[in-house]
Formats: sequence, C-alpha cells, structure tokens
Amino acid sequence: MLIDERCIVMAELPIPIPIPLPEWVVEFIALNWETLLKIIIIPGLAFILLFELVAVWFERKFLADAMLRIGPLYCGRVAGWLQLIADALKLTVKELFAPKGAHKVLFYAVPVFAPTIPALAVVLIPFGPDWILFRAGGAGLLLFFALTSLIPVLTILAGWASNNKYTIIGALRSAYLYIAAEMPLFIAAAGVVILAGTFDLVEIVELQSKMWFAIPQFIGFITFFIAMLGASERVPFDIPVAEQELVLGWRTEYTGIAFGLLMTVEYACLLAWSLLFITLYLGGYQGPPILGPGTASGIFWMLVKLGIVVAIAIFLRVVFPRYRIDQALRLGWRYLIPLALLNIFLTLAMKPYMLALLK
Amino acid sequence: MVVSEAKEIMRISWGPQHPMSGQFRFILETDGENVYEIIPDFGFTHRGIEKILEYRTFVQGIVPFERLAMVDAANVGLAYVRAIEDAAGIEVPKRAQYIRTILCEISRINSHLYAIGLAAEAAGGYPAIFLWTTADRELFLDLAEMLTGARWSYAFFIPGGVRADIPEGFKERALKVLSYFEKRLIAYRDSWLENEIWLTRSRGVGRLSAEDAIKLGAAGPSLRGSGVELDMRKEEKYEAYEELNFKVAVQKEGDCQARFMVRFLEMIESTKIIRQALENLPPGPFKKPVPPKLPKGEGFARVETARGEMDVHVILDGSDKPYRVKVCAPSFRNLYVISKLPKLTKILVADVPVVIWSFDPWYLDADR
Repeated sequence: MLIDERCIVMAELPIPIPIPLPEWVVEFIALNWETLLKIIIIPGLAFILLFELVAVWFERKFLADAMLRIGPLYCGRVAGWLQLIADALKLTVKELFAPKGAHKVLFYAVPVFAPTIPALAVVLIPFGPDWILFRAGGAGLLLFFALTSLIPVLTILAGWASNNKYTIIGALRSAYLYIAAEMPLFIAAAGVVILAGTFDLVEIVELQSKMWFAIPQFIGFITFFIAMLGASERVPFDIPVAEQELVLGWRTEYTGIAFGLLMTVEYACLLAWSLLFITLYLGGYQGPPILGPGTASGIFWMLVKLGIVVAIAIFLRVVFPRYRIDQALRLGWRYLIPLALLNIFLTLAMKPYMLALLK
Repeated sequence: MVVSEAKEIMRISWGPQHPMSGQFRFILETDGENVYEIIPDFGFTHRGIEKILEYRTFVQGIVPFERLAMVDAANVGLAYVRAIEDAAGIEVPKRAQYIRTILCEISRINSHLYAIGLAAEAAGGYPAIFLWTTADRELFLDLAEMLTGARWSYAFFIPGGVRADIPEGFKERALKVLSYFEKRLIAYRDSWLENEIWLTRSRGVGRLSAEDAIKLGAAGPSLRGSGVELDMRKEEKYEAYEELNFKVAVQKEGDCQARFMVRFLEMIESTKIIRQALENLPPGPFKKPVPPKLPKGEGFARVETARGEMDVHVILDGSDKPYRVKVCAPSFRNLYVISKLPKLTKILVADVPVVIWSFDPWYLDADR
C-alpha cells in the first residue's frame, strides 16, 4: 500500500467521539473541585511527591558541590533532575527479597504503610486561611502528634521482622531516639499552645499575623528545631540508619521498591515536621500578599519557608558528623527537655507581655 | 573496665561485606550497644608476599613488596631496599638519600590524608572531608608522578640509590603545592579536627595508656598518640633525616582524637622536611652501581612508615635472590591492640569504626 492510500484510509476512519462523563461525576466534581484539588495537588499527593523529588535532587546536588564533585548530570538533561525517577524505576524492576526467617507479612506491610503516616500528618497543616484539607479544629496539633508517634512502631516492626542483627540494633536505636526527640517536641509545642490558647493550627497561624511566635517563644523555637532533626532522623541524628556502623540500620534487609518506599519515609517525615515547625513558629502561611490576598500567596509563603527550613536541614549534613546514640539521648534528656520546660515556665510567667508583643 | 560476663552475647560479623570494614572481618561480641570483644579474623588478603620475594631478584622484589601498603608505597619499599643494603653493606650517595626522603614524606602525607578522610567517613561526616582529602592527595600524587613516573606503586628506590634524578621544575612545583597544602591543613583543623560533634565522638573514646601501648606493642601514630615518643626517623637516623630539622609529633591523651592529631601534626612536619630537603639538596650522583648477585649476609632495617615501624629481616645466600625475607608489619601490631582494647576501655558499637580507623590498619600488610 502506498503512503497516500494509507492516508486516505486513515482519513476515512471515524473520529472517536469522547464519551460524556456520567452526570453524577460532573456534579460531584463541580461540587467538590476544591477538595479534589487539595487531595491531588496541594497539600496532597502531587505536592508530597514533588517535594521528595526536589528535596532529594537538591540534597544530591548540594552535597556533590560540598564534596567537590558534580552529582546527577544526565537524567532529564538539566542538572539531572530526573535522577530520582530513574532510581525509582530501577528499584521497581529489582527483585523483592525477604531474608530467611523473616516475618513476611510484617516485612512487606511496613514499607506499604510507613510513607502514608507522615503524609497523613501533612493533611492537617493549613496552607491558607481556608486551604486546609482536614481542619480538625481543637484537635489539630494533638492529632498531628498522635499520627507521627506511630512511626517508631513501624520501624521497630521492620527491624524485628527482618530477622537480622543490624536491623534489630537499628530499630531499638530508632525507638530510643524517637522518645528522646519527641518529648521536647511536645513540651516545646505546649509553650505555643499556652501562648495561643488553642490547639487549632489555623488559629495559631492567625495569631501570628503581626509577629511570629519564633520571637516570644525563642527557646522553644530552637529546641523544636533540634528535636525535629532527631525525630526525622536527619544528620546529626541519623543514628538508626548509621551506614558506617549498622550497614543501613533497620532498613538493611529491604530490596527493590520496598527499599525505595522506606527511603521516602525519611523525606516525608522531614516534610511533615518542617511544615509543623513553620506553622507553629514561622507564621505559617502569613506573609505579604504578593500573589493577591488569600490562598495563592499563602501557599507561596508556605513553599518559600519550607524551602528555607529544608535547605538548612540539608546544609547541616555537610557540616556535622553523627552523634553516638548515648550522646544523642543525653542531649535530648539533659538539655532539650529542661530547655523546653524552661520555655513553658517563661511562657506562663510572661504570657501578658508576650501577647502584647504580638499586637 | 568492662566485665565480659554478660549472659546474652550477640555475635556480629563486621565485614568483609560491610560499608566501613575494608577487606577484613571483625567479629564483635555485643549485647546490643556494648562491645565486649573485637576478634580480628585474618587472612582475607593473604598473598604470600614473603614467599614470592624468594623467587624474585632484588630489583624485581621491590614491586610486590610495595603491595604491602600501596597507599604508602615509598616508605614500605624503602624498608626492603634498606634491608638489602644493610645485608650487602651498600653505601647510598648523599643526593639519593635526599631524594628518598622527599618521596617518603610525600608518601606519608598521602597516607595520612587518606587516614583523616576515613576518620571523617567513620564518624558519619562523609560528605565534605573524605573527598576534600582525596582531592588534595591528587596534588601529591601528581608530584610523585613527576618525580617517579607513577602515581601509586613507584618502585623508585633500588639498592644503591634511586632510579632517576629530580626533574626540572620539580622544586618550584613542590613548593607551590606545599604552600597551598599548608592552607588546606588549617581548613581541615577548623572544619574537622576541631568540629564540636567530632570531638564528642572521639575525645576519650578508645583510650590507650602509654603503658598499655608499649605492653601491647602499638606502632606509629597509635603509640605516639599515647604519649610515647618513638619515631624510627629519629631512632635509626636513616637517609637524610639526621641532617634535617623536624619534631616528633606526640599527644598525651591516647584517645582517637589524639591519634588523629598526631597524623595532622606529622603532615605539618612532613611539609617542613620536604622544604628543607629541597633547599639543601646536595649535588652528586643519584645512584651507585650494584652487582646483580650480592654476597652472603644478613640484613635488618627499621623504617617509620605512615602506620608505624616496619621491620624487615633479609637473609642472602650469595645468589641474585634473597634466601628469606621476614616482615614485621605495623598494621598487624595495631590490629592486636584493637582486639585487646575492649578489655581496657568501654567501646560501643558506634565507636567501632572510629576506633578501628583511628589505628588506621592497612589489612594487606597485616595479612601479607
């Protein structure tokens, strides 16, 4: 058949008419487009995945710069920005392998459930006065802490189910570290709650329209940041996955995409804690209305602040080696918890002055 | 003191498939975080080099001998060459002695840079320091290449002298590299050796007292880190070291930080030695003809390599090959000290990489 003839045949084919969506679907979208947008784009799926893509890319490039090398270069042509996608694709085609004597169900359940927990916590964070996926009202902050305190349970399960000595040591270290890091987090956040008089994250942000809580709650601000690094297992607190001591800590036995999913947990945790840090201390979505009043500039300011906080957390990785587990616990129990308690005392004693500062 | 009578002991195989172990296996007896025993498992890299040397002529033998510690090839090779010269009573020309000293110190800097980079990696501060030291080693590798034609295994020292004279432009380039390197050393001190978290990781960790260091036979920076002033360059006064002015780096504390400070100070001394040797380079021949067959005899050499004292004992039987070569390697002695360390001081699992790399063992010369 000649090319011309083929074109004629193609032209004669009937043009497919798009099937109209059922009426109830159209109606559903028309009624709930805002919620769908929140779930799918921000602060939902696309935002979390994009954050991981950007954060991992930035970390790789930044570390490479500090290490006098180039880092990812070829994937995606521009500065290797697709490298993470390429890695994820590679991991999906690798064999999934459970070691001998492992508890198979738990072993594979952990990588499935672990990334969802920090993602669920992100749902509670307001990105604008009305742009919040699930406004829990007075339970907002409590629900956040309740969700994130599930993470060490999963790491312990992963470590135990792997049936390996390195993973067990790593899992126990993770549990110790999480308790030592989360106590100061609670207590430091309690200072904010006392000052604001509410657990509602939206109201906490609204109170910071003139002055960020970082100024009146300065001690809590510092304590929260250090404890946040511990809770998200970032350097210098990446003790549970210490490569030089424990191969890869509680993740040692995972292969393929299960390993990939567990790697995302680290960044999802960093995201959730950074967002809470911004909400509590750095004025959340508050900022000059660059993109007009309302949601758009709120999201813009959230993203800018997130970028700065995450960049600082990544920068610390270049500067510091890792603490030993007993040193990290000592830091948590001897310095961070007393500091956070001091913060509560100061807040109780000076609440009227602090509130005057906010106006 | 740790009592090793805990009931539930967990044995961890630390190596050879471990990110930080190298080509070696340690068996750790732990109960979670406390380490009660570190048992070295020798032999992963045994190559029978002492036996190989019996089938090589003296000049051929230098190449496999340098494989004992490739990162420090010049100092290790010098030990063998000096043992042969001692056995045959060969005098080396003055100029050759100075050239040997220069290459030995370049090699020492290479090795210590690698050790400090590994310390950074062992404590988890991988990103910056390990590749910084690797990048700065490159300059010294290039210097060595300019002098000898090889970056790693030089085989540059031969009985009776060195293979080649100092090339044109070497002195200027070496001085340029040294003045750059002295600036970099300050950067290492500020960003790494005085880093808060590194100090909490290394101060008081793996403490070895001077008596224990002598009793257990520690060698090199491990010994000097415990406050014992013993350096073969001063003791044996070999090559040009007698005529050059340098200090022996000693630290009193005996912990991991002290051992790394010794390496750091030794690098400073090495730069001074290279400068002086280049300034005072005497004229004359750089090698002396040596017959292929050497008379019957017995020779012994002690050389301060980057890892410590290396002793070589050679017996000649009148042919062109040695009858027997016996090496006493510093890494083997230091590995023995590591295995006894949990009895002397408290060591946690997280300390194991820092402690082991603070002794800087090179497993190839321990296994031979």
